[in-house]
Amino acid sequence: MSVDMDTFRGFAGQIAQLGQMAQPVDLPDYERVARVKAEFDEKIDQTRATFLESCVRCGVCAEACHFFLETGDAKYAPVRKMELLQRHYRREHSPMRWLFRLWTRDITPDDLMEWQELVYDSCTECGRCMLVCPMGIDISDMVNVTRQAYAKAGLVPAELTVMQQEQSESGNIFRTGPDDLKRIAAELEEEGIHVPVDKDKADYVLVTSAIELLLFKDALRSAARVMNHLKLSWTVQSCAFEGANFGMLSGYEDVQATLTNRLVGAAISVGAKTVIIPECGHAYPAVRWYGANALGERLPFEVLHLSEFLGREVRAGRLRLKPVDSERVVSYHDPCKVGRHGGVFDEPRAVLKALGLTHHELPDHGVTNFCCGGGAGNFLINRAQPLRQKTFELKRRQTESVGAEALVTACSSCRMNFLGGADASGWDHPIESLVELVGEQLDDGLGKRAASRVR
Amino acid sequence: MSFTEFVDGPFWYFSLSVFVIGILWRLIGLLSMSGHTDLSRKRGSALGGGLHSVMSRFIPLSTVQTRIRVRTVASYLFHIGLFVLLLFAAPHIEFYKTHLLGFGWTPMPHWAFVAVAAITFIGLIVLWLHRIMYPVTRSVTSAADHIASGLVFWVMLTGCMALGESSEFLRVLHLLMAELLLLYFPFSSLMHAFYWHVSRAYTGAHYGRRGVKV
Repeated sequence: MSVDMDTFRGFAGQIAQLGQMAQPVDLPDYERVARVKAEFDEKIDQTRATFLESCVRCGVCAEACHFFLETGDAKYAPVRKMELLQRHYRREHSPMRWLFRLWTRDITPDDLMEWQELVYDSCTECGRCMLVCPMGIDISDMVNVTRQAYAKAGLVPAELTVMQQEQSESGNIFRTGPDDLKRIAAELEEEGIHVPVDKDKADYVLVTSAIELLLFKDALRSAARVMNHLKLSWTVQSCAFEGANFGMLSGYEDVQATLTNRLVGAAISVGAKTVIIPECGHAYPAVRWYGANALGERLPFEVLHLSEFLGREVRAGRLRLKPVDSERVVSYHDPCKVGRHGGVFDEPRAVLKALGLTHHELPDHGVTNFCCGGGAGNFLINRAQPLRQKTFELKRRQTESVGAEALVTACSSCRMNFLGGADASGWDHPIESLVELVGEQLDDGLGKRAASRVR
Repeated sequence: MSFTEFVDGPFWYFSLSVFVIGILWRLIGLLSMSGHTDLSRKRGSALGGGLHSVMSRFIPLSTVQTRIRVRTVASYLFHIGLFVLLLFAAPHIEFYKTHLLGFGWTPMPHWAFVAVAAITFIGLIVLWLHRIMYPVTRSVTSAADHIASGLVFWVMLTGCMALGESSEFLRVLHLLMAELLLLYFPFSSLMHAFYWHVSRAYTGAHYGRRGVKV
């Protein structure tokens, strides 16, 4: 089965219509402000208070932000993105609040509208600014808290609202549910690829996503082939196959916890020892880092990102791949939520090495990698497209500067964003998926059928 | 009581008291806030990550080093110079001996005192120019930040004017400025002097347990 750019464009076109389906949250302005403040009150703890106290407004964070670097607009400096939280802290929580209140402006409805662009359109919570902050302030966390406050105030951009609303009702996105999973599984069975849906017991639970069922089918196909090739006891649970978590991306914490618990519960019910998260950036922290906290106790299983799992199996010598028979040069893009926020750096590189690809690191890679520009749900927000396109140019320049002929990643959102950017600018470099490359070089006699990629 | 006696005596003890109590008030207020526990399985060491973050941030990340070089150099000149002056300038040591500690230590030579004062002043002025000329810092700088910069500037300027140690008026003026700075310190972003390592450590520990050194 192949996916070409026409399919991608059709999918992207449907995404562009998403906002029209959102049910707006009608609230009076004073109520929105009150809700934002109440959420800030709940979220300001010792760590965040220290961050808010420490900022000296030196502006160094701006030098790390792809949105500022590509536009030169001071309003996109990360330090500005935490200003609402900072003002509220100074007025209501600082030990000197009785004094600071005299000259610190209160939050107004106009402020909320102005900052919506700053915390959704022009921040992907990539965390790169945290790396360079002399005080070590994690501004991405401040932006996340602001997003959670915006969710309480009904001020989430329409595209994310509609995704969140759909997923909170059904657990699924893009109207892709258990029946679609079973249909795709049946199609793969016809190709000779066994996909064990809803097994009662399994050591491994493979999570996937609607985007893999609708667009990046080779990713799911390749992952299934790897699981079978390694002769693992595995399953995909139709009641909890969706790895995407639009509660997390939009800021709806209760929805985030419900969706995470759904995956966790399904894994516990089959006695899983390992849960494998698909090539999706935010799906990884949703379970790996927040799963135990949502459940209220330690998870009885290990959580691995697919790229982490593949790298581990390659390094252990259990997953042997046929090296490619070309000298093709590629660069690897570390998805922020998997790399900088997740600690997975070496494993995908081990896979690239096993594939025999010539890997040239981007000028900024690993922990300092630049975001794709569309993370944290940004890639769905229509009005943010011009900004995304600018940040794409940064990645394009970096890729070309190291002589790479293709950009490889392990995140569907990054891939979507790069494909959109490349399509809009006529860039001809292929955007590759790590697991799909593995699928092509897997010696199970099924590689030819899966050897199709976008571009 | 003369003005000189007032600045040398009651006002000094008042400003020092506000400085100490204000700092304690803010630090205790912060420490009394609740924290949170993380139940996820750690990948790396929070302690190691915290220590790494505290130390590594003394040198800007290579990816931004070039773009912020002026600011970094000015920042080091100012901060190191300030501590050297506070600890090793002869008049300061004499002041600590008579007003606080009852003992002193060997000061730096006068020529070094003059040189360090000049370097520190240059560092401060470059930092301030960067703050008002660079669009990002200009857009986020508040009046409170300017007051802090201004007070430090006046302390430095009067200190430089009093370098000759020949005018009692200039000495008292310098002390008065320093006292005003002490009074303002706990209410300002100058408090970063007491937060920087904690903030760095929190972030380093958070990412450290995820196996990422930041």
